[in-house]
Amino acid sequence: MTQEVREKTSSRKSTESAGKIRAIVKRMYQEAQQAKEEKRKVAYCMVMCNYEEILAALDIVQVYTENYAGLCAVKRQAEPYMEKARAEGYSDLLCGYTQVGIGFDALRRELGGVPPDAPDGGMPEPDMLLGCSMGCDPRWKWYQALGRYKDTPIYNMDVLMPPSDADMDAIKEHSVRYMAEELRGLIAFLEEQTGKKMDYDRLMAIIRQVEETRWWWREAYELRKAIPCPMSTQDHFVLFVPHHMLLTDPMTLDFYKGLYQELKERVDNKIGVIDEEKYRLLWGVGLPPWHSMYILDYYLDYGAVFAAETAYMVPDPFEIPPDVTDPVEIIALRAFARNTSLQRQGQEAGGVPPLAQAHLERIRDYSIDGVVMHITRSCRASTMGQILVRNVIRDHYPGLPVMFMESDIIDLQTYSEAETKNRIDTFMEMVDANKRSAG
Amino acid sequence: MAQELYEHRGLRAKELAAQGKKVVGYLCCYTPVELLTALDLVPYRIQGRVGRPLKQVDQYLETIMCPYVRSCFDLALGGEYDFLSGVVIPHTCDAMHRVYDIWKYHLKPPYSHCITVPHMTHQASFEYFQKELEDFQESLERFFGRSASGEDLAAAIGLHNHSRALLRELYELRKAEPPPISGVEVTWVLVAGMTIPVEEFNDLLKDVITEVRSRRPGSDGRPRLLVVGSEVDDVAMIRLLEDSGARVVMDDLCTGSRSFWEDVHLAGGALSGLAARYLGGITCPCTYRPGKVAQRFSYLEDYVRDWGVQGVLLYTIRFCDTYQLDAPEIKGYMEGLGFPVLYLEDDYIMPPLAQWKTRIEAFLETIEAKKRE
Repeated sequence: MTQEVREKTSSRKSTESAGKIRAIVKRMYQEAQQAKEEKRKVAYCMVMCNYEEILAALDIVQVYTENYAGLCAVKRQAEPYMEKARAEGYSDLLCGYTQVGIGFDALRRELGGVPPDAPDGGMPEPDMLLGCSMGCDPRWKWYQALGRYKDTPIYNMDVLMPPSDADMDAIKEHSVRYMAEELRGLIAFLEEQTGKKMDYDRLMAIIRQVEETRWWWREAYELRKAIPCPMSTQDHFVLFVPHHMLLTDPMTLDFYKGLYQELKERVDNKIGVIDEEKYRLLWGVGLPPWHSMYILDYYLDYGAVFAAETAYMVPDPFEIPPDVTDPVEIIALRAFARNTSLQRQGQEAGGVPPLAQAHLERIRDYSIDGVVMHITRSCRASTMGQILVRNVIRDHYPGLPVMFMESDIIDLQTYSEAETKNRIDTFMEMVDANKRSAG
Repeated sequence: MAQELYEHRGLRAKELAAQGKKVVGYLCCYTPVELLTALDLVPYRIQGRVGRPLKQVDQYLETIMCPYVRSCFDLALGGEYDFLSGVVIPHTCDAMHRVYDIWKYHLKPPYSHCITVPHMTHQASFEYFQKELEDFQESLERFFGRSASGEDLAAAIGLHNHSRALLRELYELRKAEPPPISGVEVTWVLVAGMTIPVEEFNDLLKDVITEVRSRRPGSDGRPRLLVVGSEVDDVAMIRLLEDSGARVVMDDLCTGSRSFWEDVHLAGGALSGLAARYLGGITCPCTYRPGKVAQRFSYLEDYVRDWGVQGVLLYTIRFCDTYQLDAPEIKGYMEGLGFPVLYLEDDYIMPPLAQWKTRIEAFLETIEAKKRE
């Protein structure tokens, strides 16, 4: 199926803050392109690798390749890149982001420049490729595959995600030591690539700023517990952008302060997403269908508002230990704390798998009436475990409806709008029946 | 004997379990089986079943998940692995990582452990992995109420190294033209070895080698193939190749050479040796090995040269991102060396069907034409 040229694939937003994101994204790519022209160092990056502050302290411009693929899907301009990747021998089952990214760079090499009509002017040619193992396998395999098209220096590093039943206190020391060594290896690599020395005081200041930024985002997010919910998942799926891609920018701190103020005002004045919020839904694990975000608005027709998500989660709070002065160790400690938080909570809850634990907490805290998960054909990492989550939810909240939506993060081939709407219709009947029976 | 063990997988392990032996199942060739053997536990590599339709798994695992893992889990749901006293799953790829929690939540094995295997091979990665293996050993000792001395571990490593040496000796015999053992027979041996105690496997290997050495097959000039890929614990695909006129003489499979090519060295200590061998010595795409394609896959050049290979089957299982990201490079590299490559992406569950036969026959004709040039 050829991707339909559609003027608007985006969804309805409730907040003014969300309305600012498109301009922020455009400016982000413009600045990255300008940085390249000015011969400043540009790196291809993956989100949530824990290296954002380090890159910023060395003035490296960060370009997030997964998210560029998402932008291409939003614009329905992903297909030429996917086709190119497939022509280069990559499977159509490979991660959709990776297909777009490889296709983009393969085309760039073939054409000798950025492919014409690339959304937002395209990604600038990177000076380095920085992958990490957190999240999924393509996040470090992808950049190695780019070796077919460029000789760009590469540094891949591990970011551990300890097993659900590990004794976190027992594994903490060697896990943190390993993370810190991986980060020190990265710093050595970056110093060599940039010819600069790390300014550790500056790094520490950036870490503090980032934690403050996250504090404001978390505070804003928690306002969504209010009834009616002041903003929806439709907003969240753009509001995460400054955090994930411009984390160290002072603008981002101001942005989330502004978001907090806006949501506070909406909560104080009981302004919801829609006039009558009848049901509250959780967007469960599964990245969004970037190609057709407007489908989320179909739930609004039923009076259903997505009040929370488990995708692009706000990081847990982290108190910088006063006795630790090495910023690298602080980042390592923080990564361990965050990447073991759900495991710990699941263990305390009697052995709930961490992925499911995230859902149970939100169902409880955000007064959820139903859960929607998105099975994405080309993203295994965000799809595997969805059935487990459904099964655990059934064990803890019998009767709570769970719906599986099926398509992809990028590829439209497996997406049927009519079928999706049919499923939503059935699901909403179940949500309504369950809510009525619960009184 | 090997064929019997292959066809009745688990029979011997179930017999041992009935006698009171503790049998521990594991997934993936990154599990350091020496630690199990040292504690008098029988390592049993959990396998899927090609050709057996899936029955219950759709209620537990997504259809886009690794079909090999789905097949393993489906068998477990049906009670096939009830004789196991525990399960060990290393976090090597996304599928292995995810299935651990699912296995534990739904199947509730008496013992379970997930080993975190670094994806990187930095110095710190080896140090971390060694500590992980130490924790794994302690976890086994605690649960099974046993302890392994340094001598026990060294002895277990010796036994498994002996297996590896015997397997390499068997593979050495495949260099002959024609090879005195078929690819199907080798698969029987490899699969049998995953299901029985190492001492018994070593005896089996000695018998196999003796028998194979006595064979005197006549040369017939059939195309000699290298098979590169991940899990092949069933003979169907190898048989299809050989019935189509090829000889499978070498492999780079996680159920084949990848699982035994490197020994464990004791010089720096047993756990250090295990960490070095399992993290550094296995060429699975789930481990990042820096460098361009010619550096990363130069060992394949050794294989094709030393085993007289004339064509390469690149065999990947659907939904395997790590292999799918390496496959085009491997294909290009081998073709660049002058070898025809057939790349097949399989769903694992159903045995290779007629459409493959046509592609394989065309591939073998290409090799024959190249030989005539």
